[in-house]
Amino acid sequence: MQSGGSRMEGLSFLKNEPDKNGAEPGRGLLGWVDRRYQVTPLLEFMRHKQVPLGSHWMGWYYLGGITMFFFIVQVVTGVLLLMYFQPGEATAYESIHFLTTKVPFGWLIRSVHSWSAHLMIISLTLHMFSTMMLKAYRPPRELTWVSGYLLFLITLGFGFSGYLLPWNKLAYFATTVGTNIVRSVPFLGDWLLLVLRGGQDVTINTLYRFFAAHVVILPLAFVGIISLHLLFIQRQGMAPPISAKVAPRGMKFFPSFALRDVLLWLACLMLLVTLAVFLPYGPGIPGMDWELGSKADAMAPAYAGIKPEWYFLWEYQLLKEFPPHLFGLEGPQVCLFLIAILLGIWAIIPWLDRRAARNKPSPAFSDFGWAAILFLVYLTLMGWDIGATGAGNDMSLVQRSARVCAWWTLAAGVVMIAFRSWWFEHRWFVLTGAALLQIALHGLMGISYLLAGAISAGLAIIVIAASYFMTSRPNETGTT
Amino acid sequence: MRAILVILGVVLIPSAVFAADQKPAVAAPTLASLLDAKDKSGKSIITQEERAYYNGLNDNLKELLNQAVQKEFISAPAHLGTLLSLQLRPQKMELLLKNNCALCHSDPEVQTPEDLFSVAPASHHSPAHMNLKEIVEDVHFRSGLSCAGCHGGDPTADLGHDMVKEWPGKGRDKNRAWIVQFCARCHSDPTFMHQFNPGLPTDQLAKFQDSPHGQALLVKHDDRAPQCVSCHGVHGIRPAKDPQSKVYAQRVPETCGACHSNPKTMAGFTLPDGAPLPTNQLAEYKKSVHGQALLVRGDLGAPACNDCHGNHAASPPGVASVSHSCSLCHSANASLFDGSKHKQAFDQHNWPECSKCHGNHDIAKTHDSMLATGPGALCGDCHRQFAKADPKCIPTANYFHATITRMDEAQKRFTAASEKLAAKGLDIEPISNQLTDLNDALKKSRTYVHSFSRVTFQQVAAPGEEAIRRTDGLVDKARGEYKFRQIGLAGSIALIGLLILSIYLKLRQLEK
Repeated sequence: MQSGGSRMEGLSFLKNEPDKNGAEPGRGLLGWVDRRYQVTPLLEFMRHKQVPLGSHWMGWYYLGGITMFFFIVQVVTGVLLLMYFQPGEATAYESIHFLTTKVPFGWLIRSVHSWSAHLMIISLTLHMFSTMMLKAYRPPRELTWVSGYLLFLITLGFGFSGYLLPWNKLAYFATTVGTNIVRSVPFLGDWLLLVLRGGQDVTINTLYRFFAAHVVILPLAFVGIISLHLLFIQRQGMAPPISAKVAPRGMKFFPSFALRDVLLWLACLMLLVTLAVFLPYGPGIPGMDWELGSKADAMAPAYAGIKPEWYFLWEYQLLKEFPPHLFGLEGPQVCLFLIAILLGIWAIIPWLDRRAARNKPSPAFSDFGWAAILFLVYLTLMGWDIGATGAGNDMSLVQRSARVCAWWTLAAGVVMIAFRSWWFEHRWFVLTGAALLQIALHGLMGISYLLAGAISAGLAIIVIAASYFMTSRPNETGTT
Repeated sequence: MRAILVILGVVLIPSAVFAADQKPAVAAPTLASLLDAKDKSGKSIITQEERAYYNGLNDNLKELLNQAVQKEFISAPAHLGTLLSLQLRPQKMELLLKNNCALCHSDPEVQTPEDLFSVAPASHHSPAHMNLKEIVEDVHFRSGLSCAGCHGGDPTADLGHDMVKEWPGKGRDKNRAWIVQFCARCHSDPTFMHQFNPGLPTDQLAKFQDSPHGQALLVKHDDRAPQCVSCHGVHGIRPAKDPQSKVYAQRVPETCGACHSNPKTMAGFTLPDGAPLPTNQLAEYKKSVHGQALLVRGDLGAPACNDCHGNHAASPPGVASVSHSCSLCHSANASLFDGSKHKQAFDQHNWPECSKCHGNHDIAKTHDSMLATGPGALCGDCHRQFAKADPKCIPTANYFHATITRMDEAQKRFTAASEKLAAKGLDIEPISNQLTDLNDALKKSRTYVHSFSRVTFQQVAAPGEEAIRRTDGLVDKARGEYKFRQIGLAGSIALIGLLILSIYLKLRQLEK
């Protein structure tokens, strides 16, 4: 493992003084540049930069780079789309229609942009969960986690704002439903809705501000934060794994890691163009489909069973599981509050996970990550009406769907526990168990989602409290 | 003394008799007492809905109800409940409460079953036409004509049955011919009808008298023949636009079929050629393209019996006039036929025009195979029998058939192809435009078959043939575009693959 000291030595170029190794500026173009900007220390830094290796799979290290690759693709294809897109009541839909039907390779640009958006969210989610499981967020990398978390939120914002821009029927109604959720924010809800929509309803004014957000505000924020994110990583290096069994060693960033990065990027490009050519409108899964269809029409009847994009499906389903009123508040308000708490916990995990901060395994937080996956998977599957297509509001079909989704998620949960205990030697499954219990109670026994959640959470708290008082310290047998 | 006794007798005995005749005074029921009345079990006779309806009435209607109770036209809570249960709109309720005939005849305590208006006639053993709900919906009642409009008398009088002279007394059930004259008193009087419905014709009687129905009833005195009430009903007559009317478009086939499908009723009636009048028209119509459109799809533009046969002047269209009935809707086909060679040939044979090929009550959806010329096919069979001499007929029919079949097949093929191409992300707008042209030409060609002229047909079919040629080219172009995309993709993948391979080899070399 690379020591902190050597890293700091490698960063001496930042002090804007000659390398202490005494490397002399060379001749030629590099020498000319070096004499003016002292790039030799930078090159030295890059030459010595190492990626820590451990007992874990190296693959997780590439996910950040892959996400960045998809972001670069988004910027390039986005700029190309911008050359033709004309926001406006009579032009937004028409310009996209023209681009995809008449402009040479216009279809390819839009298809790649859409595919890349979805693949970026997939790789970003995997990157986030791998960071969570490997505890890479532990000090001193808390801000890397927080900046990455902000990038995740901005990416979701990109998805939401970009969806409306083609001004087609599906986008119009999905945005109407999506923006309506902010109405449940206490006190500020109605005002926020006005700000978001630029009026009471989704109109072309909404498109103007979504367009501004999609091509100016969010990209500026993204570039600013990703610069910080990258700076933090360069400054601190990649997080070494928590592992007492395998001696840490390193891989040279240049050229070994960088070339592997490029190799993967090329493979992603290959995947991207193949998907764009063979499935130009997406894989045909609801929430992952971007066929232009007909133009937005506020007077047209709304789609029956309209659903958001797949990455918002869990929130959509969670909102549906809440009754209209709860604890004297509106159900959606309580739901938003719960989602805010969950997202808040996710954001401050580096400060909550005290064991990882001491470079010790923290099985409870690993289990929290796995439980979160089960929680999201179950809600997403239900949101997709798996097992009862077009369930809508027919309660018997909704229950059938919940049962099928529960069986699938429980099966996945059991496989997950078996794999974790065999491969990672995990022994702490309280939160995963609670998540699976909630799924079983709701999906198989027909108990309401919230009651099932309360029972499971209550049991989990009792088990954790009991084990805390019995051992005075959490179980340490598990590893990350 | 005797005188005193006589005087006492004269004064006291009648007084005692008079006093003995006096029954204990019973207070007349009030509206409030009727509304609050309870049955033996203590349950309120006026239901909650009826009470709520009463509470919603305006003051005028409450006063009218009050008066009706005071005059004892309404004397029992059940009777009041029946009237309130109708839930009539204020205008109709006012008409009802001002109509003493209806008030008295809806009181079960004073009427015999055959004279009682009831909301459920069957349970009171009343005739079906004494349905109070139907009576208040009657167009005549709604226009304020009420019972007296037909039956005479004074509906505002407290009692009495002062019938008008026209109302036949005995025997009116046996000979129904009087009904048409009776209705015509008003319906044939334009000035009178103008007060109520200026748009309603007043020639019904004149038409009816000349129709086979009218002849049978008025001349042959055949009571099986229909008169006004047979189709329009007795009480509860509604405008023809009312879906509950017996003469509403979708109900006309059943109304006519009530007699025309009944072999017993139709026994003895014959066609002009002397054959018995068939009774399968309704069954055939229901299966036909027109019946399916009207009765199944609810297309009120589709014809019912009266659209071809007329209504008050209902008669079978003669050979010459069949095409006129059809041409009311199928005007293009009819005018093409009129200008064709077939017109003369059909006239020579005295064939009905449209129905010769398409049938009458059982008109099926047309099919392109009707143009085929093989054995069993319509055109071929007829021409081999009747137009052997003309060598052009069969080739022309073959040409029609081949052209239309080709266009139809191309249209299906291109639609399927364009759906596939659209799913692959290709621009199908030019193909869709050509398909619109092709569809247009196909529809016109099917119509222009009725010109039975190759030249005329060719004029409308030519754009279709051109559209096929262009669409073929466009589909090929789109397929080529897709192939280009695949080749481009393969090239890109090869290039990227080469780069990946070289980087991999470089890595291996570096890490050796």
